[in-house]
Amino acid sequence: MTMTSPTRSNLEEHAQTLTSDTNDAIRINNVSVAYGSDGRSSRPVLSGVNLTIRKGEFTALVGRSGCGKTTLLNAVAGLVDPTEGSVTVMGEPPRLARRHLGFMLARDALLPWRNALRNVEYGLELRGVSKAERRQTALHWLGAVQLLHAQHLWPWQLSQGMRQRVALARTWALNPDVLLMDEPFAALDMNTRQSVQQKFLELWQSEEHRSVIFVTHDLGEAIALADRIVLIGDGRVLEDVTVGIERPRDLEFVSANRRYQEIYHQLRAQIG
Amino acid sequence: MSRDTLIVRVAQILLGITLLGLWELAAVTKWPDPVLAKSPGQTWSFLVKSASSGQLWSNTRATMTAVLIAWVLAGVAGVVAGVALGLMPRVERVLTPYLDSANAMPRIALAPLFIVALGINTSAKVALASTLVFFIVLSGARAGVRSTDAEWLRLSIVLGARKPQLFVKVLLPVATPAIFASLRLGLIYSLLGVVGSELISARSGLGQLIAYYSSTFRMEAVYGILLLLAVIAVVLNQVMGLLERRLLRWQPPADR
Ligand SMILES: Nc1ncnc2c1ncn2[C@@H]1O[C@H](COP(=O)(O)OP(=O)(O)O)[C@@H](O)[C@H]1O
Ligand SMILES: [Mg+2]
Repeated sequence: MTMTSPTRSNLEEHAQTLTSDTNDAIRINNVSVAYGSDGRSSRPVLSGVNLTIRKGEFTALVGRSGCGKTTLLNAVAGLVDPTEGSVTVMGEPPRLARRHLGFMLARDALLPWRNALRNVEYGLELRGVSKAERRQTALHWLGAVQLLHAQHLWPWQLSQGMRQRVALARTWALNPDVLLMDEPFAALDMNTRQSVQQKFLELWQSEEHRSVIFVTHDLGEAIALADRIVLIGDGRVLEDVTVGIERPRDLEFVSANRRYQEIYHQLRAQIG
Repeated sequence: MSRDTLIVRVAQILLGITLLGLWELAAVTKWPDPVLAKSPGQTWSFLVKSASSGQLWSNTRATMTAVLIAWVLAGVAGVVAGVALGLMPRVERVLTPYLDSANAMPRIALAPLFIVALGINTSAKVALASTLVFFIVLSGARAGVRSTDAEWLRLSIVLGARKPQLFVKVLLPVATPAIFASLRLGLIYSLLGVVGSELISARSGLGQLIAYYSSTFRMEAVYGILLLLAVIAVVLNQVMGLLERRLLRWQPPADR
């Protein structure tokens, strides 16, 4: 994991913490990121991104491949330090805010030496939750994704869709305030993808206090799932569109919605 | 037992009997040389006599003690060094030419050195075997750590893993199959190193027995001890294989 050296002073971070609105889950202030030895030599991937995400808001990040979506997500997760600007998560600097975070990737990243149940327990184990409690929580969320019957199977014995549902259960088991998702369903085939998306939406809609940043290069997926679509390009925010399709949504029919069509045509050309 | 396994077993037994028959034939016809020509029967009666006199047992114990000491010591050192090098690519680049040339050296050539330095005793055998085991396990552990998926680390860090947790919960399990494979190979090489050292000079051990009996042309004894060594090697390999299968149950069958 490469990480650029921290550039913000603690004082600045502290000031940030005090001024942040308590309704905001994530604040991205004037963030620039450049990779390279001193972080400045190369052309910045992000230059002056501003974005505030409210508690309970579902935001999709879209943009061409290589535009810096993953980089922005990594900055929120504290995996990459911005060369300029700052990020706060629930009012704290990212690295101190990890207890609030859930994280999902395109590849499920299940650990192959843990069975389904122990994979769901993994995050809780890292956070020092007692054995009895994490077992109970893990079983609950495995049940929520209809995989109780598969709890003792190794990852290689699960289908792609089942694996991603285990990853969903692992994420929910942590009860995160903020969900960071980097193209979580991109690796699934069409049919599996829709059923996993539907399951994910059900979980999220059942208690809407969780904020989501959902990176995808699939515009249709972004509109179907999110409240808000942020288009990244040229290192900054190019478009910021409110979706406004009522919830709960049924993914079978959402693409027939008028707003869906409008947004699709408005943004399609810029994603390519 | 499935039909296939049964056929294989029967073929193996038939092949074994054929080989014994050829050996017997060579002994009867004194081929290729009367000195070498000792029959399976003579070999067997040596083994029985030597076993009942306690000679076989005490020398096997001397050899195996050295084998296990070298394996454990060099195995632990190899795992630690291999994992460390796997995690520190820059240090590894500095050390690589030295490690490569040390590993390329015909290790048996070090035996006289160790014997002069440490004396004609167990330490000398252990030292030689250790130089073999250490490098095998080191490269296994290093390769194992290298096979870590960056996404596992990324996820673990975001979920809150600290450095020691990353080590215990990700890096070590990732490296386990490669470490195990190298420990298994290392055990056989440990036997090779110890017997090699004993052949050159030792007070006890199966290698020393071979040296003694071949200098006195007791070929049935030499054959007997070689057979015993082969059996020991097979048993060690089987035990490691069993352990490996238990420990690596999580791997898909194709990777096992
Ligand atoms: N660790 C890194 N070191 C150097 N360059 C990187 C690194 N990660 C990403 N980049 C570069 O930054 C740009 C944005 O990458 P990324 O954030 O992964 O884009 P996206 O997720 O939108 O496809 C790309 O040009 C990529 O090559
Ligand atoms: Mg990406």
